[in-house]
Amino acid sequence: MKAVRNIRLCTKDCLCLFVCPTGATNTDDGQIDASKCLDACRACVDACPSGAISKVPFNFPPQQPKQEAVCAALRALLASKANQEAAMDAVIGSPASPVEAQLARALKESIRIVAEDMLRESGYMLPQSEQARAALRGMLESEQDADFPKDAAEELLRMLES
Amino acid sequence: MSKYICTVCGYDYDERDGDKSQGIAPGTKWEDLPDDWVCPICGADKSMFELAGAAAQAPAQPAVTEHAGEERQDARHQAILMSNLAKAASKQHNAPMASLFARMEAYFNQRSAAEGDMNSAHKLLNEDIAARYVAAFNTAREVGDRGALRALTWGEKVSKIQANILRRYLKDGDSAFENDNVYVCEACGFIYTGAEAPEICPVCKVPRFKFNQIKRGA
Repeated sequence: MKAVRNIRLCTKDCLCLFVCPTGATNTDDGQIDASKCLDACRACVDACPSGAISKVPFNFPPQQPKQEAVCAALRALLASKANQEAAMDAVIGSPASPVEAQLARALKESIRIVAEDMLRESGYMLPQSEQARAALRGMLESEQDADFPKDAAEELLRMLES
Repeated sequence: MSKYICTVCGYDYDERDGDKSQGIAPGTKWEDLPDDWVCPICGADKSMFELAGAAAQAPAQPAVTEHAGEERQDARHQAILMSNLAKAASKQHNAPMASLFARMEAYFNQRSAAEGDMNSAHKLLNEDIAARYVAAFNTAREVGDRGALRALTWGEKVSKIQANILRRYLKDGDSAFENDNVYVCEACGFIYTGAEAPEICPVCKVPRFKFNQIKRGA
């Protein structure tokens, strides 16, 4: 596990600096040097008075298995959310008024967040999950337009499979 | 004297107390509240309230629409998957991975068809609330999937506020929101319409700085 700092919560008390045995926290870019951070150490996490530091795994465990019946129910909601988002795009494209455009933009953002949550609970919580990797492989195998970011998909698979 | 509970945020309107924040005198009966009265916490209108203590309606086995809308929106499904994974990567403090997923999302966003209007979205949301959420809740409860139940609880409340905003807009047009600012909670998607974003999100309880303001004419 490596320590990471949520800079939004950091109040610059710098106790992490004081307790760190390797100097991994002595950086000036707001982050913690993962290459110096010790796997089993959590001295900075416990010392920080603002709760701004946590440890994230170098490698994530596989996602817990999901029941197909739950995934199917979540997919039905996702399909509905995708169509709602498509409707908001149509309104944003030719709004009747500035108020309507504003509401459609807010609704689109809101619908996207709910839709993402349906996916997270149907097996796509982590990029490292087998399902997420299979989705990337599927995109690479199917026909795409010329501007498909093939290099990005391949690089992601390399990152996730290493 | 009765109490009515907001099904979005849980606020209770007690007829005994009225609602001082909107000049409603103590003792004002529910049916005498003006139609444009909204929940002082989350902004939902009267249609989102239930009488406290009323027997919860047994969720009838709903007819789930197999096909939600006309378009299949395949590209948009991929875009939603990519934006979800971009967020997940940034929560793992992995900025390079997040930006690769963001490039994938941009590709699929560009290919997502725009189709429908405020009315069609309102209809789909009402179906979600009446049928799809009910079915998904029943399934998740049966198998004890706590993660899915968590997502459904927030998603249903946010869908209710979305439907409520559309209902008010379709009924009264611009005048319903002309004097409001609009904010979206980036954690759960709750939409607040009013002067200033609430101190904490009425649905998921994150603090005010998690709200993004959606400006008019931007």
